[in-house]
Amino acid sequence: MIFTSELFVQTLIAGVMIGVLYALMALGITFIYSIVKMINWAMGEFYMIGSYLQFILVVHLLGPEFWWVAVPLSALGVFLIGILLEPVLIKPMFVKALERRDDYATVVTIALLLLLRNLATALSGPYQRTPGSVLPTITIGPLPQDGARVAAFVLALVAIALFQFLIKRTWLGLALRAASQSRIGVQTSGVDVLRLDQLAFGIGVALAGLAGALLAPVFLVFPTDGVVTTVKGFEIIVIGGLGSIPGALVGGLMLGIVESLGAAFISSPYQNAYGFALVLLVLLLRPTGLFGERTRQA
Amino acid sequence: MARLLETRGLTKRFGGLVANEEVSILLERGEIRGLIGPNGAGKTTFVNLVTGIHAPSAGDIRLDGESVLGLAPFEIARKGLLRTFQVCRLFGNLSVFENLLLPYMARGAKGSALDEGIGRARELLELTTLTRLAKLPAKGLSGGQRALLQVCCGFMIPELKCYVLDEPFAGINPVIKDSIIDLILHENRARGVSYLIVSHEMAVMRRLCSKITVMIEGRVVAEGPLEEIARRDDVITAYLGKALT
Repeated sequence: MIFTSELFVQTLIAGVMIGVLYALMALGITFIYSIVKMINWAMGEFYMIGSYLQFILVVHLLGPEFWWVAVPLSALGVFLIGILLEPVLIKPMFVKALERRDDYATVVTIALLLLLRNLATALSGPYQRTPGSVLPTITIGPLPQDGARVAAFVLALVAIALFQFLIKRTWLGLALRAASQSRIGVQTSGVDVLRLDQLAFGIGVALAGLAGALLAPVFLVFPTDGVVTTVKGFEIIVIGGLGSIPGALVGGLMLGIVESLGAAFISSPYQNAYGFALVLLVLLLRPTGLFGERTRQA
Repeated sequence: MARLLETRGLTKRFGGLVANEEVSILLERGEIRGLIGPNGAGKTTFVNLVTGIHAPSAGDIRLDGESVLGLAPFEIARKGLLRTFQVCRLFGNLSVFENLLLPYMARGAKGSALDEGIGRARELLELTTLTRLAKLPAKGLSGGQRALLQVCCGFMIPELKCYVLDEPFAGINPVIKDSIIDLILHENRARGVSYLIVSHEMAVMRRLCSKITVMIEGRVVAEGPLEEIARRDDVITAYLGKALT
């Protein structure tokens, strides 16, 4: 491989662009964890639902030129599915004080993962589909970039900015930030924490659904299309630290860049392995992740 | 005087351990009641039962004549029964100001009520001389300032009727202790807030409470003015051990 600065810059840009979308996924995982205190292992399936919604809306309902209308609708659809599922699957674990809640959460969300994945296969078959993209290749500087990727990157940035606004500037955000620090404390302040759980779950899976909708034209749409992105999401969580929003963003960018550079300058078949190398490195140097804090158990 | 907080035969078992046994306490409106007892007497358990953190094994809790049994902690808080924690439960990453506003906002305040809440928070900051720290994350406060802020959070609620303070004075310097006491008395006189105060600080209890309840091994063993209680043999024995004979 010949190293040129032009190629380097292009690879870097590609890495940053995909990194932001990975970050979206990681943000969803970390956000649900910080409020509900459980890992949602079915995140990839919500990504998958988002990609299918985008496909259906673009191909069958709205038409390809209205892909930008379809994106928020798909995310909204995933949000509503999350809001409907949470009271049935997650809430019962919190109404009564359960022992080993983490184990239950793991079993419940893995069961949900299997159900959704097989449901998608049953409904749509194992075929790989694509909603296509009407966006032309965009030239950034001297370098061409895939239009759908650029659009996904820009909209992901917008979504992250909106999310930050919600968390930092609104009353709901205040309650969410408080709940992430003490679930009991926030309840004795008069906040209905179970209601917050439902909203947090909905918002968290909507972030995954949004990533799915944005990446539908970039990657393909099929029943297990969320697997790779979910694995990356969890890699980012390890890199950035569980429960940290800046960690999810920085980790996402780092993972995207490392993968992209590795694929371009070392060997592209091993693209997915570079992320794991990064994970191992972080675990060696900072086991809590870059922004993670050691928790004290009272 | 009207009954504000009443428990009847309140019992809590943790497996084989009976942490609270048939605890019946009657708190009248406007009263400042002390709750004392040696470590492990079940005081904090009682506080947790009354505020809905734990569900009692038996018995009833009434606030203003209405049973609050089975209500979630946030619902009890919205009915005007607030508490503080022995281990301070401020939100460390939120600013001092946000910590004050959170319980106020949790009631669903909007519009002009919001401004009222902000004004109230400013007033409390002024009163406690915490104004210059308002924008700081709460984890930057000293232990005493944290305790003070925690107590203030409850006073943010206009509906506050009964305030349960779990060890608000433990390990706090005398100056801040005095401002907490002043605040308690001020809110008691200004709007008739009642208190149940768990504390070991007898000097403070003497200043604040007209009546003291003593718990030993999960049961109420005595109730009355501090002077009267301090003379009782069983109380002295529980605190200091049996006199050698």
